[in-house]
Amino acid sequence: MILENIKEAFASILSNKMRSLLTMLGIIIGVSSVIIITTIGGSIQSTLTATLNSMGGNMISVYVQARYPETEEDWATWTYPDMREEDYVSQEMIDGLIAAYPDEITGIAAQNYLGSGQVKDEADADIYANVSINGITPEYLSYMKLKIRRGRNLTAEDNAGRKRVCVIADTMVKNYFGDSNPIGEQISVATETGVFDFVVVGVYEYNQALFGRVDVTVAEKDRSTEMMIPLQTCFKLQGKDQSGYEYFNLMVAPLADVEKATADVITYFEEVYSRNDKFNIYAYNMASDMGMINTVINVITIAVSGIAAISLIVGGVGVMNIMLVSITERTREIGVRMALGAKRGTIRMQFVIEAIVLCLIGGMIGVTIGIAVGALLGQIAGFVIQNMYADYSSYIIMDVHPSGQAIILSMFFSMLTGIFFGYYPANKAAKMEVIDALRYE
Amino acid sequence: MSEAVIRMENIIKRYYIGKPNELEILHGISLCVQKGEFMSIVGESGSGKSTLMNIIGVLDRQTEGEYYLEGQDVNGMTDEVRSAVRNRRIGFVFQNFNLLPRANAIKNVMVPLMYGREKVRDQKERAMEMLKMVGMEERAGHRPNELSGGQKQRVAIARAMINDPAIILADEPTGALDSRTGHLVMDLFHKLHEEQGKTIVLITHSQELASETQRIVTLLDGDIVADKGGARE
Repeated sequence: MILENIKEAFASILSNKMRSLLTMLGIIIGVSSVIIITTIGGSIQSTLTATLNSMGGNMISVYVQARYPETEEDWATWTYPDMREEDYVSQEMIDGLIAAYPDEITGIAAQNYLGSGQVKDEADADIYANVSINGITPEYLSYMKLKIRRGRNLTAEDNAGRKRVCVIADTMVKNYFGDSNPIGEQISVATETGVFDFVVVGVYEYNQALFGRVDVTVAEKDRSTEMMIPLQTCFKLQGKDQSGYEYFNLMVAPLADVEKATADVITYFEEVYSRNDKFNIYAYNMASDMGMINTVINVITIAVSGIAAISLIVGGVGVMNIMLVSITERTREIGVRMALGAKRGTIRMQFVIEAIVLCLIGGMIGVTIGIAVGALLGQIAGFVIQNMYADYSSYIIMDVHPSGQAIILSMFFSMLTGIFFGYYPANKAAKMEVIDALRYE
Repeated sequence: MSEAVIRMENIIKRYYIGKPNELEILHGISLCVQKGEFMSIVGESGSGKSTLMNIIGVLDRQTEGEYYLEGQDVNGMTDEVRSAVRNRRIGFVFQNFNLLPRANAIKNVMVPLMYGREKVRDQKERAMEMLKMVGMEERAGHRPNELSGGQKQRVAIARAMINDPAIILADEPTGALDSRTGHLVMDLFHKLHEEQGKTIVLITHSQELASETQRIVTLLDGDIVADKGGARE
């Protein structure tokens, strides 16, 4: 019976295609705007999340800090203790952490600033390059989203062997080496603390955006670029006998929950440092700041969707109007059906189903348009960002997808609109007197 | 005496009851129709024959009097039961056919089955059988606007017959047809009457058509003024 009614509804809607389409227009506009708005809101949110993650949101900062005294008297005599070798976080601890949470922690990005200096060609005073020297772990480059253009990245072996090797920026290569191949060349860097020699093993693609603002008062040739050396080599050159880390960042897997990962890191190190009475580990992340942003975007999305949903009501009134017209037009048909034995409830159901089918078709068209327009806007936004913020484009991760929840919800509300606004006309049809309806001209 | 399909006693129908323009259309009709009768109700327009037909067809309620259809008091029934009675026990044939425009012939014939209480099996086969009976099986897939008037009326008769009703109530069935096709339709009624023993009530203003039936009841201004055997008796 319901199947018959649905077939009837389709036949009736199709017999008046133009009118049905115009009737559905309100529903189509309402549903498509809800889908578009939720797509935009959801996409801003996930793009922001992904982008912030790529800029450090998916990073846990960890540092070693002294355990502070617990009582007032102890504070008076307390001084910050010196760090011994065993107080630092060792590579073994990091390896143990990654082994314990392989789905969450993917690596360590530690960095230590050695100093700034100048690389000079002894033969020609015009050939020089300013650099700032950083000791890093091998993962640091990928963490900074820096790409190796020639040669290789620093390795764990370089670190363990405290080798005098370096990775330099392509812009520095252009300044200093010109067109010749820098790989394997030895360079001397003069710093305040001394002159150090390094062998170039790799060249990375310099990205100004990653290192902050450009000082335009300095000629391009004089601008300093970052030169990367193994962290352990850096410690050695600084005269430190430490091999562990005091302050570092942990990289979190892209899909992992940063909050949970942070909690796991704290749990892990509390266990490791439980026997250390002087020092402990502290860890925090930037993701918690994003909770606020997400909440704001959510509220805006819901509010604007609510406004868009009002057009569903307008669409519903349109459906009601056309159903009333349709019922008047089909009074005779209703009379015939009643004469042939249709009960009032059956007639009512027939027209309610017709209104529901009408609204659902409108809803489906609206969802399709909404998805299409949402995807198009995503494409346009991506294009604009690529062109306007080219420096940052490697950071910005566009994530445009329609909200499944919104699709289901708007289909549900389309149906509800059909029931709500279809009921009155349907009931009017059901209340007709059979003889009046049969004689209606 | 055989079982009475229709038994009416002193049926009165009034409109605008209690208002100054109160109107009495039927003044107390008493009528008995036996099973297997082919009778006609004739009268000028305004004689009350349409009102009487509506009451016989359970489309309208009388103001006073008793109406028993197959021994059951129809007036006491709820709307729901009256719908079921129309569906199961009465086959309507209208002057203007009243087929559903968007449905083809066989779908039109099946409409009463759709509104029936129990699920009838082999609906299509049954509808096809009906179409065959009226000689329309080859037009089963055609919509009403692809059929001639006579063909439409034959489909309508097939629809009236599908639930094997107690009476066929035909309201000016040839009114919209030319005389030749009108005769074909009348022949079909005769066939149903003679071969299947159907009780048929024909409402018409045409004395000529009425004279084909066994019994002619003449209505004038809301009263039965004559009740006599037709030409074929």
